[in-house]
Amino acid sequence: MEFITNAVMEVVNSKTWIEWLITIAKFALCFVPVCYILLLIPMERRGAGFMQDRQGPNRSYIKIPYFGKIRALGYIQNMCDGTKLFFKELHTPTGANKIIYNLAPIIPFALTFLVPCVMPWFGTMTFTFGDSVVSIPGSIIDSDVGVLLLFGISSLSAYGAVLAGWASKSKFAYLGSLRTTAMTVSYEVCQGLCLMGLLLLVGSFNLTDIVNWQEHHVWGIVAQPVAFICFLIATIAETGRAPFDVAEGEPELVAGYHTEYGAMQFGFFYMGEYAHIGICSLLISTLFLGGYAVPFVTTETMQANMGITLTALCGVLAFLALAFLHMIYRYSRKLAASKQSNKAVILQEYKLYKLVAWVATLVFVAGAIASYMFVNPGSTIVNGAPVYGIGVALGTAVIHLLVLLAKSVIFCWVWIWVRWTLPRFRYDHVMHLGWKIILNIALLNLVVTAIIAKLVGGN
Amino acid sequence: MARVIKQKPMNWVERLYVFECLRGLMTTLKHAARGLFRYEELPTISYPEGQPEIRNTYRAKHRLMLRPDGTPRCVACGMCAAACPAHCIFIEGTQSEDGRIEKRVMRFDIDHLTCVFCGLCVEACPVDALRMDTKKISFEHRTRDEFVAHLSDLIDWNPADYPDDAQSQVAPGGTKNKQALETWGLEVK
Repeated sequence: MEFITNAVMEVVNSKTWIEWLITIAKFALCFVPVCYILLLIPMERRGAGFMQDRQGPNRSYIKIPYFGKIRALGYIQNMCDGTKLFFKELHTPTGANKIIYNLAPIIPFALTFLVPCVMPWFGTMTFTFGDSVVSIPGSIIDSDVGVLLLFGISSLSAYGAVLAGWASKSKFAYLGSLRTTAMTVSYEVCQGLCLMGLLLLVGSFNLTDIVNWQEHHVWGIVAQPVAFICFLIATIAETGRAPFDVAEGEPELVAGYHTEYGAMQFGFFYMGEYAHIGICSLLISTLFLGGYAVPFVTTETMQANMGITLTALCGVLAFLALAFLHMIYRYSRKLAASKQSNKAVILQEYKLYKLVAWVATLVFVAGAIASYMFVNPGSTIVNGAPVYGIGVALGTAVIHLLVLLAKSVIFCWVWIWVRWTLPRFRYDHVMHLGWKIILNIALLNLVVTAIIAKLVGGN
Repeated sequence: MARVIKQKPMNWVERLYVFECLRGLMTTLKHAARGLFRYEELPTISYPEGQPEIRNTYRAKHRLMLRPDGTPRCVACGMCAAACPAHCIFIEGTQSEDGRIEKRVMRFDIDHLTCVFCGLCVEACPVDALRMDTKKISFEHRTRDEFVAHLSDLIDWNPADYPDDAQSQVAPGGTKNKQALETWGLEVK
């Protein structure tokens, strides 16, 4: 008994309380891809609308007493759809394998909580705490085989499709799952090979090392442009969305492997797909767009000038708020001049947005001025490098996280953009592209990178 | 005569597909940016709240033109019913009280569920009694019977809604009604 207590105490005492706190708090980052679902669904629906010169879903509203109707720029529609899916009856077709049938939708969704564990969300936090120097890695699991682990976990989502298709006892679902699996597996080969060039340059499988290398050399997109394009195409194909949505074909396969699913089981597939997009865009921005690294500024410079960095951040946020205000004001003016019968209701809602955006602008401007004047942290020199207090470390982590999210949102947009632009490929074209074109380009890229790296004398 | 269309073979840039993809992506990006940053310039309208602008020549719900004294101009000749390809017009005529006119219309029904809105009845009318310029494009009723417009519905329109149309102003309530009534009241020799 005492032995166990000692062992536990040894583990507990191996870190200070602040290290434990941050290490546990980092698990909250597992929920980031789930939040991406909330972002991606409205982005997809309204983005699709805008590309087709429509307005997109914007009619549902919440009625607030004494104020009016809140449409939240069309966001309420997604809440309504989610509620509808949630309260629908779960139905299992006759002859389906009940256990596997009900298990399958959970797999892709559950994986969205596992994959972010290896993602580096911010640079390694190094700060002085009391007398000691604490160092906490930016990923939940700081593994030396991070990339492999990430691909390993995310490729498990193919099981969701396989089991769903097999357990549904429907030929459409079965054929759809076959196609999905074949495509996912073949494009994962391409993904891995595209990545090899970059890994060759970095010389490490650790994702934090990859980002560090990009921060101090060049971004992956500059070092490996061909690999970037191939990786992007392969990743879009791997998520199984248009133009590579061969698993779902209205005329031949109905909805692919989730044909027989309804209600929230379908919702899980749907959310899993969107979370997968979120994860893939996080992955691409980590591997090719410098991850959490702020463009043109190294973490050391940023920490040395924390006040100015925070000022710049607040300035960017204030600019965004002002841009939003500009859009709202212009639209309200046009609406007020129109003959639309419900304009009073909408203008009432916009008054609220104006208020919120003005308050946000003021807060950001005040924050910018305050941080420029007052934030000037001191540092201690440890091993020849300056180390700051916990405030600077947390600030750096937040900025890193925001930068990573901003970069990945751009890639989320690419997914939606591509889906609503390009016509879908035929199945044999997809396979041709994967095995005969992208794979060869990736191989060539690897060889060329290896030769150049050897000649230049890199790793 | 069959016309032979010669399709130009694609050049190598087009056959690479990547550049054509980029061109397409730029097009959609332009539209998406317009929607996001210039939301008010989207060509769509929020329909029930915002109504579309409809041209005078749009073939909408029918109406029957009126004489200065308020009787329908229709002389129950039945040419509109004969012209109707959907057989949706039902006319019954009777003797006119006005000695100058032979017949007047007693029953004039248009079944809007059968009507194909081709406008042939308007073309066929010899006295310009039937028109389709009401700009009413939405029909919503509870029963099938309510979709049948009767004579009373067809003559129920306001001259103030047609300010540019001189013929409509002749009807009771119009700006030219008084003058037209004087002319109408004269004995025809």
